Amino acid sequence: MSATTAPVIIAPPRPGLLRRLTRDPAAAAALAFVVLVILAAIFAPLLAPTDPFDNDLSSAMKPPGSEGLPLGADAQGRDLITRLLYGMRMSLLMGFAAVILGGGIGAILGFLAAFYQRWLDAPIMRLVDIMLSFPAILFGLAIAAILGPGILAVVLALSVATVPLMARIVRGSALVVMRQDYIEAARATGMSDLRLIWRHLAPNCLSAIFVFATLRFGQVILLGSALSFLGLGAQPPIPELGAMASEGRTFLFFAPHIAVIPSVAIFLVVLAFNLLGDALRDALDPRLRV
Amino acid sequence: MLRYLIQRLLLAIPVMLGVLLIGFLLMQVVPTDPATVRAGPSATAEVVAEIRRDLGLDQPLTTQFGLYLWRLAQGDLGVSIINNVPVVQELGATIGPTLELMLSSLVWSIPLGILLGTLGAYYRGSLIDRGVMAISVAGVSVPVFFLGLILIWFVGFKWQWLPFTGRGGPLWTLEGLQSIALPAITLGGVFVGPVARMTRTAVLDVLSADHVRTARAKGLSERLVVLRHALRNAMVPVVTLIGLQIGFLLGGAVVTETVFTWPGVGRLAVGAITSSDFPMAQGTIIVLSLGFIIVNLIVDMLYAALDPRMRAA
Repeated sequence: MSATTAPVIIAPPRPGLLRRLTRDPAAAAALAFVVLVILAAIFAPLLAPTDPFDNDLSSAMKPPGSEGLPLGADAQGRDLITRLLYGMRMSLLMGFAAVILGGGIGAILGFLAAFYQRWLDAPIMRLVDIMLSFPAILFGLAIAAILGPGILAVVLALSVATVPLMARIVRGSALVVMRQDYIEAARATGMSDLRLIWRHLAPNCLSAIFVFATLRFGQVILLGSALSFLGLGAQPPIPELGAMASEGRTFLFFAPHIAVIPSVAIFLVVLAFNLLGDALRDALDPRLRV
Repeated sequence: MLRYLIQRLLLAIPVMLGVLLIGFLLMQVVPTDPATVRAGPSATAEVVAEIRRDLGLDQPLTTQFGLYLWRLAQGDLGVSIINNVPVVQELGATIGPTLELMLSSLVWSIPLGILLGTLGAYYRGSLIDRGVMAISVAGVSVPVFFLGLILIWFVGFKWQWLPFTGRGGPLWTLEGLQSIALPAITLGGVFVGPVARMTRTAVLDVLSADHVRTARAKGLSERLVVLRHALRNAMVPVVTLIGLQIGFLLGGAVVTETVFTWPGVGRLAVGAITSSDFPMAQGTIIVLSLGFIIVNLIVDMLYAALDPRMRAA
């Protein structure tokens, strides 16, 4: 959805971005939450009270609030705080990999299409159109069928689904920059194409890339957790939020917290990224505010 | 309009070929030999060799791709490795329930989304608008399976109001309606948000247009202005954007079918992939992709029908 309402023109970030961003209490809360979650994911091994694979069947399915288990334990008796921290780490890592890989390739395609408009724009955009005619779920199914279910399949599927979206955003943004006088001036100094793209074109498209990447990160985490929930992604006993929810589904009627805790975590993280992405867009380009 | 539609059709052809090529390649990388599978466990080496020749497996890959397309055109997608049932037969049984689920989700979520979006735009900046925006951002953030599990727990398990596994029967029976209620609420539930958000933006755009100002200036009631002048013109972008969201809906449908053990193509696909039933996986992916391409073409036509300017082109 962000692809269709995406900004074409975005002003470069100015100082005071953080202040403008945090003026809206929802955006401020989202930013704080995102920072907290990322820190928790990075330092999961230090924060987690136990090992993520340590199970103690005597505490299996203990509800939240049990002694020594504030979030309870899963069906194998593993501490859900530990599983949640490691699961979050894995889900964020998968999303991060997909946005970097897919977004990176997409951005390069977008720059090439805009820079070599005469002979690369049409073929690249046709390719993008074709890729856009497939929803992410089909990439997920097809790649999991070919490679076999697993984390790699999900990351690849999410990356492939991100490529055309990022390519379109970057091309639109770069086309505007290409019309600026300073590009012509830089070209007149005899700068090489690669250097021109790197030094002048790319930096001026950064805010568009940044806004889209933030919004996409939330979507990719949601999609990735859905694929893992289906059994096409992270395989048990690997802690991953979607896979954890799927494991908990079996015990829904006896111990609903096993499925609910990872699900709520996904919801909150994705919500925070969506709110943050929207706020970033508003802050970076007030013209888009409706 | 004809030219536009032909253009869309022409774009769909390489996409379809791409899908078929991926399906074909899938069968090339799999570790099992289709001839051995087709022959069954008790077949002799001669029988397997004969089937191998019949299927063209001794031919070069390009010829095999041609043969593959030829078999496909005749509706032959092979047989399931797991239960030896023809893939086409299983697909035929699951396409109906999937369409049923998608349509019964759209039938309530699109009107509700359009209503909420229009209200949000009309009362822009008010508490109602904020509420609509909150619903829509929550809607695009909630995992589909979470919504499904909550409904199963409360409505199905705790209150025991509705069944939550399988399909009770065709839509026109009471059992059918009862069994589709929770899946349709789940899948539609995640679709209301995006529709509301797109409608709100589109209506806000139109409300500031000249013809709306004119309608107001000639003294039409606000209700008429919004319904007849703003909403109608906002429908073109809304239909286009809903079309773009069909992929999102398909993803949701696969998850919803799995959560509610709904006997659709999505659940069949996931089951086939996780159990390494390659012919079945290939068949489901081809059918889902083709279905998606067809739906996109229909949306294009709808778009042309809604916007008179497209008809002239």
